[in-house]
Amino acid sequence: MTDLLLFQLRRVGRNRQYLFFTVLLPALFTVFFTKVIGGQLAPGDYQEVAGSVLVSMLAYGAIGAALGATIRIAFDRSSGWLRQLRVTPVPSGSVFAVDVAVGALLVLPSLVVVALVGRFVNGVELGLGTWLALVGSLWAGSVVFVALGVAVGLALDAQAAGAAIGILGTVLAALGGLWFPVEQFPDGMAAVARTLPSYWFAELGRDVAEGAPAGAPVAVLGGYGVLFAAAALAVARRRPLHAVAG
Amino acid sequence: MLSTPVLEIDGLTVRYGGTLAVDALDLRIGAGETVALLGSNGAGKSSIVNAALGLFRPAAGQVRLLGRAPAEAVQAGGVGAMLQHGGLPSEARVGEVLALVRRRHADPWPLDDLAATAGIAGLLDRGVDALSGGQRQRVLLALALAGAPPLLLLDEPTSAMDVAGRQAFWTTMRGLADRGHTVVFATHHLDEADAVADRVVVVAGGRVLADGTAAEIKSRIAGRTVRFRCPGTRDGLAALPGVTGIGGDGDLVELATTDAEATLRALLGARTGLPDLEVRGASLEQAFLHLTTDQTTANGALR
Repeated sequence: MTDLLLFQLRRVGRNRQYLFFTVLLPALFTVFFTKVIGGQLAPGDYQEVAGSVLVSMLAYGAIGAALGATIRIAFDRSSGWLRQLRVTPVPSGSVFAVDVAVGALLVLPSLVVVALVGRFVNGVELGLGTWLALVGSLWAGSVVFVALGVAVGLALDAQAAGAAIGILGTVLAALGGLWFPVEQFPDGMAAVARTLPSYWFAELGRDVAEGAPAGAPVAVLGGYGVLFAAAALAVARRRPLHAVAG
Repeated sequence: MLSTPVLEIDGLTVRYGGTLAVDALDLRIGAGETVALLGSNGAGKSSIVNAALGLFRPAAGQVRLLGRAPAEAVQAGGVGAMLQHGGLPSEARVGEVLALVRRRHADPWPLDDLAATAGIAGLLDRGVDALSGGQRQRVLLALALAGAPPLLLLDEPTSAMDVAGRQAFWTTMRGLADRGHTVVFATHHLDEADAVADRVVVVAGGRVLADGTAAEIKSRIAGRTVRFRCPGTRDGLAALPGVTGIGGDGDLVELATTDAEATLRALLGARTGLPDLEVRGASLEQAFLHLTTDQTTANGALR
C-alpha cells in the first residue's frame, strides 16, 4: 500500500495550485493579517493578536489542505481512473484508504509552514511543548475535514467538485471566523459561526495555545467527524468508486 | 471444438432502470480463441464486457472468468481489460502508472518488452495529461497487458485511434493471439472483426443474433438493402428470392437481401410500380436488426 500512497502523494505534489492554496496562501495571510491588525499595538497586545491570527490561519490552511486533497476523488472517478483500477489487481479498498491517508498527511506541511511563519516572521512566542501540542491537535482535528472532503468528493462530479473545494473552504473560513474574529461579527452571524466545524476547529487551537481545557471543541468536532464519516460511507455505498455516473 | 472455457456467461440479464440492455444471454469462449462481439451502439456489448469483469451485479445470470467469480479473477491478475470509460490519473507519469499496476502482478510482463508491445516505449517519462487520444489508448493497453494475462477483454479499444494506430493495434492483438492469449473485443466495425477475430458473435438488443466464423458472418452482412414505397400489402415480400428480412417505417419498406439482383427481378415482375426505389449496401443494423429469430433459424445461421 506504500506504493499507492507515494504514487498519490507525488501526484498532488505536482499540483501547483494545491500547494499555493494550502501552503503559500495561508502563510502569506498569516503575515498580512498580523501586520494589518497588530501593526501599531503594544507588545503584549501584539502577541495576543499575532497568536490569534496564527491559530486562525493554521485552521484555514488545514481545512483547505484536507478538503483539497480528498475532494480530488471526484476527479479520479470522472477521469475513469478508479474504474480502470477496478480491472487491475490493485484492491479498490486500499485506493479509498490511501485517499483518506493522503488527505490527512497533506494537512501537515500546511500546519508546519504556517507555524514556522508565525514563529519566525511574526515572532509569536509559545513554549516548544505548546507548539507541538498546537500543531498536533489541529492535525488530529483535521480528520473531520478529511471526512467531509471524502463525502463531497464521492458525491459530486469533477466540475462541481472543483468548485466545491474553493467555495466550501472559503465559506467555512469566512463564516467560521477564521478571517475576521467572531467577536467582531453581528449577533446573528456569530450564532451561525458557532454552529460551524471550522469555528470549533479554531477554538480547539486557541484552547490548546492558551493551555486551557478543550473539552467543548473536542466534543463538537467529534460529533461532526462522526456525521461526515457516516455521510461519506452512505454516499460510497450508493455510488461505488468505479461507477462513472449515477 | 471449444477447449476449457475461459469465459462462461449463463442467462446474463442486465437492466438500466427500465431498459433491458442484456437479455438472458449465454456465451462460452474457450482458451486461445479470438472473438469479436460485433454490434451497433446500444447493442449491449459494453454491458456484456462490464458484467464479465464484475463491474456491476447483473439483474440475473452468472459469469465465470477462468473458472472463478469475475472480481476474483481480476484480483488474481488473470484478466486484462480495456474499458470504454476507463481512464488515467492526472498529474502522473506513464511509467509511474505502469509500475503501480505491474507491481501487483505476481509475474509481470517485463517492462521493456511490455512498453515495446504496447507501443509506448518513448512515453514512459511523459505526463499522462500530455498524451494524445491514441497514446492514452496505448497506455491503457499496456495496463491491460501488465500481468501478461491469459485473457484480454477489450471494449471498443480503437475508438480513439487513427487509421495507422488501429492497424498497429490489431497487429499487436494478432501477435498476442498467436502467443496463446484469449482475446475478446467489442467493436462495431465489421472490418475489424473480420481482420482479427476467428469467431464473430453478433449482438443486438442484448442477445446473440449470430455466432460463427468471420467468413460466415461477413457473407450474411455483405448483403444489400432494397428500399421502396409500398402503401399496400406486404404479403409475399418475405418470400422473394434472397430476402432475409423486412423492415421500414410507415409505407417505406426495406428488404434485407443477400442477392439484390434476384430480389429486384422478382419485385419488378410482381409489381407495377416501385416508387422511390433504392438499392444500397446494408449496414450492420440493416443486415441484422431486420432478421427475426424465426427467419434466422430457417436460414440455418444461428447456432
